[in-house]
Amino acid sequence: MKPPKRALQFLRWFCREDYLEEIEGDLIEVFEKQSLLSPRRARWGFIWSVCKYLRPQFIRAFKINVHQNARAMFRHNFTITYRSFLKYKSSFFINLIGLSSGLACTILIYLWVSDELKVNNLHAAGDRLVEVMERQLDNGQITVQSGTPGILAETMAQELPEVASATTVSWTDKYVLSVDDRNMQGTGVYAGRDYFKIFSFPLLQGDPGKVLIDKKSIVLSDEMAVRLFGTTENVLGKTVTWQHEKLFNVSGVFKKMPAQSTQQYDFLLTTDEMKEAHPWTLQWTNNAPSTFVVLREGASLEAFSAKIVNFVEDHGGEKGTTVFATPYSRLYLHGRFVNGVEAGGRIEYVRMFSIIAFFILLIACINFMNLSTARASRRIKEIGTKKAMGASRRALIIQYLGESMLMALLSMGCAFLLVILLLPQFNLITGKTLTVPTDYPTLLSLAGLAIFAGWIAGSYPALYLSGFNPVAILKGQLHGSWSELWVRRGLVVFQFVCSVVLIVSVWVVYEQMQYTQTKNLGYNKDHLLYFEGQGKVTQNLETVIATVRNFPGVTNASSIGHSLMEFGAGSSTSSMQWEGKDPDLVVEMENVRVNYGMIEMLEVQLVAGRYYAQQFGAEDSNIIFNEAAIAAMGMEDPIGKTVTLWGKPRTIVGVVKDFHFRSFHEKVKPLFFNLAPDGTWMVMMKVEPGKEADVIARLEKFHKDYNPGFLLSYRFLDQDYQAQYVAEQRVATLSKYFAGLAILISSLGLLGLAAFTAERRLKEIGIRKIHGATNVGVVFLLMKDFTRMVLVAIVISFPISYVISRQWLDGFAYKINLQWWFFATAGLSALFVAWFTVALQTWRAARVNPAKTLRSE
Amino acid sequence: MKTPSLGEFEELVLLMVGALHDEAYGVAVLENLESHLKKKLNISAVHVALKRMEDKGLVRSRFGGITEDRGGRRKKYYVMTALGKRALDQQYALRNSIYNLIPDISFSK
Repeated sequence: MKPPKRALQFLRWFCREDYLEEIEGDLIEVFEKQSLLSPRRARWGFIWSVCKYLRPQFIRAFKINVHQNARAMFRHNFTITYRSFLKYKSSFFINLIGLSSGLACTILIYLWVSDELKVNNLHAAGDRLVEVMERQLDNGQITVQSGTPGILAETMAQELPEVASATTVSWTDKYVLSVDDRNMQGTGVYAGRDYFKIFSFPLLQGDPGKVLIDKKSIVLSDEMAVRLFGTTENVLGKTVTWQHEKLFNVSGVFKKMPAQSTQQYDFLLTTDEMKEAHPWTLQWTNNAPSTFVVLREGASLEAFSAKIVNFVEDHGGEKGTTVFATPYSRLYLHGRFVNGVEAGGRIEYVRMFSIIAFFILLIACINFMNLSTARASRRIKEIGTKKAMGASRRALIIQYLGESMLMALLSMGCAFLLVILLLPQFNLITGKTLTVPTDYPTLLSLAGLAIFAGWIAGSYPALYLSGFNPVAILKGQLHGSWSELWVRRGLVVFQFVCSVVLIVSVWVVYEQMQYTQTKNLGYNKDHLLYFEGQGKVTQNLETVIATVRNFPGVTNASSIGHSLMEFGAGSSTSSMQWEGKDPDLVVEMENVRVNYGMIEMLEVQLVAGRYYAQQFGAEDSNIIFNEAAIAAMGMEDPIGKTVTLWGKPRTIVGVVKDFHFRSFHEKVKPLFFNLAPDGTWMVMMKVEPGKEADVIARLEKFHKDYNPGFLLSYRFLDQDYQAQYVAEQRVATLSKYFAGLAILISSLGLLGLAAFTAERRLKEIGIRKIHGATNVGVVFLLMKDFTRMVLVAIVISFPISYVISRQWLDGFAYKINLQWWFFATAGLSALFVAWFTVALQTWRAARVNPAKTLRSE
Repeated sequence: MKTPSLGEFEELVLLMVGALHDEAYGVAVLENLESHLKKKLNISAVHVALKRMEDKGLVRSRFGGITEDRGGRRKKYYVMTALGKRALDQQYALRNSIYNLIPDISFSK
């Protein structure tokens, strides 16, 4: 029979040592005697007795005096740190500037990344909310598109038990809404009944399940409601006129969609209305609206995706069309598909910037490491004395780690101020609305980041400095060891590798951007002003075009079905038939509806045949292709041959040169121009350079008088063109700053090291000068070492930057070739920056009068 | 020299230490007190009293030899010091002197 173990352990933990044996012995004796009578009572008695010893008389001293010592040491370390900051101001500032700009950059990137990760991630259904998309075989390539038949959502909800709810969301367009005399333009969309149940956009008024049921319902955003009615209160049931044509009743008001949603609408109409206005959406062969599905709890996405593969085809859709589902929240970051398979997307930029942030922070930390180990010789006596007085290695490590953490926390403070200053500019570049974080979790993680940075930066010097032999130090025998020198050199090399890689990458991005801006697109996008015809304009299109053409400053005018950049938004067809066509071959062709004179105005070059012209009459049975389309059809000598489009024969009258109507990410696709003036709503005009303002003023006045109630929204074609490369432009701008920062921090570190080396070699320089060395000779001597390091860095960085640039360029179908001089220039610029920094310091050291430096010994 | 004061329980323990002369250790004192007082005591109370009296110099202690009993822990034996004896004597003298002042009459029930 043994006494309770826990109680005994507890007793041993708290009881005074000199009493313990006696008390334990007596307790056990009593326990043994009692346990003969009743073991249970004996155990409880034992525990109870142990508890009764919990009184000051018996409790041992818990080392309170040790705490007092730690506090004293803390204050001591703090003082020493403060004094060393004061004494070595230059390295203090180099560290402060380096670390705080590194941290600021990391915080900005962190804010951007965390915002990117939140996009479209705000819906209650989470991963169960999926988008159903189509894969189509197009000329041997599988393309993925979000356009689906307009009745897909409803059919899925009825036929598939896994589907909890589903909704259609149509294409967006700008429409005019009017209340009394007030006309407002807004982005509208048709959406299914369960839209507000599926997407968690809060409704200020109305019931999520009911607002989109009645066919003539309209749901307004709070902004739109205020613009139309001046209030969001009591607007339910009021009437709104759409396009001066149809009346709708307000059934709900939703809060403006948050910036972290890619869906941004001013109002929503019902899908019942869509079916009436656009009956073609009811057919299984037509694809335009997006389809969103919420799966039932527990339903597997893979199983669902596998089950629906042939859903569209089975219901009479186009042959070879398969469907699959992807989580909606994932699509924003993983939205790119290559040959039907997910292949990254924005996530690549998220990863890229995270890596850049990490490396910039690392470069800043390396500065700190290098400077503190280099400076160690100055503080070596302090360490020796401390060790001789009995300081343990641990205490020294704590001191130096504490120093670097203090430095990091100080830098974090500065970095935070920098972030507050830079955030508006950063938002401008990234097109986001980020705010300075004030919530505790973020602030805590930032403090954590500072401590982490301090730990990285301080760990090497702390371990290195604390390891010295005190006897050697105090005898003055300690000089920098070889390994120490190598580590320092290695770190400098590493910093410059990062910098050169960044410079090369920025260069490549910049050149590619230049290429997209200056390459001959095959058409002239400049000075083309266009607006979308609405109301009366579409009814009297020819009159409007004739009027506009006569404006002073307008050289030409015509009309087209889509803005050139919006091709592919549901305007392609695969129903082209030609002689000798393989029945299984599917060739998707862009269908561009044009009016007379449009192709000429775009300055698209003819390869063979002619443009459309009125003098030839009956042009609607003719057709003009681009070279890619001819190649896809495998035709030779195409002029005069006949193809069949939508069941009607058409004669090929012209072939135009391929032109880049899409972004350079994609190859030029097959395309045909279809003369169909009735289907061209975009009135486009060529404006003389410098007359833009006049023409716009005149156009606005004309539109207001001619088409009252509709708002003119005009754009220039080259604006649309720029918009295609927004993401790349952002990357280009941001990486420019980051590369600048990296090289700045690296050269700051070099500056510190150069200053240190020059100081260490003052006597050597003095002796050399006495023996006749010139100032320039001394500068070269000091620079030799640094030059070697930077050269090694440049050599290492070339293959790395080559691989990275190649990968980025692979995202473009049309791209620049990597030139050797991208690398050469980047390397040379790094070298020059390094030389300049080092020369600045060494020149000063070289000019010192040798008598001064050699006087003391 | 002023003798330290004695609490009631301390006095009992001190008496028992004296009575058990050279054989007085925690459990022995406890058991003997229990049998005399005819009530249960906790060993911790005895220890409290012993340690306090040791601090006051009324008892002295020494460790006994190592035995197999008690999980191998040594006993700690207490003996009364001269100061302890004097404290007891004074306590008795004081009590007796006052006791003797009680008149020899019959007290009401």
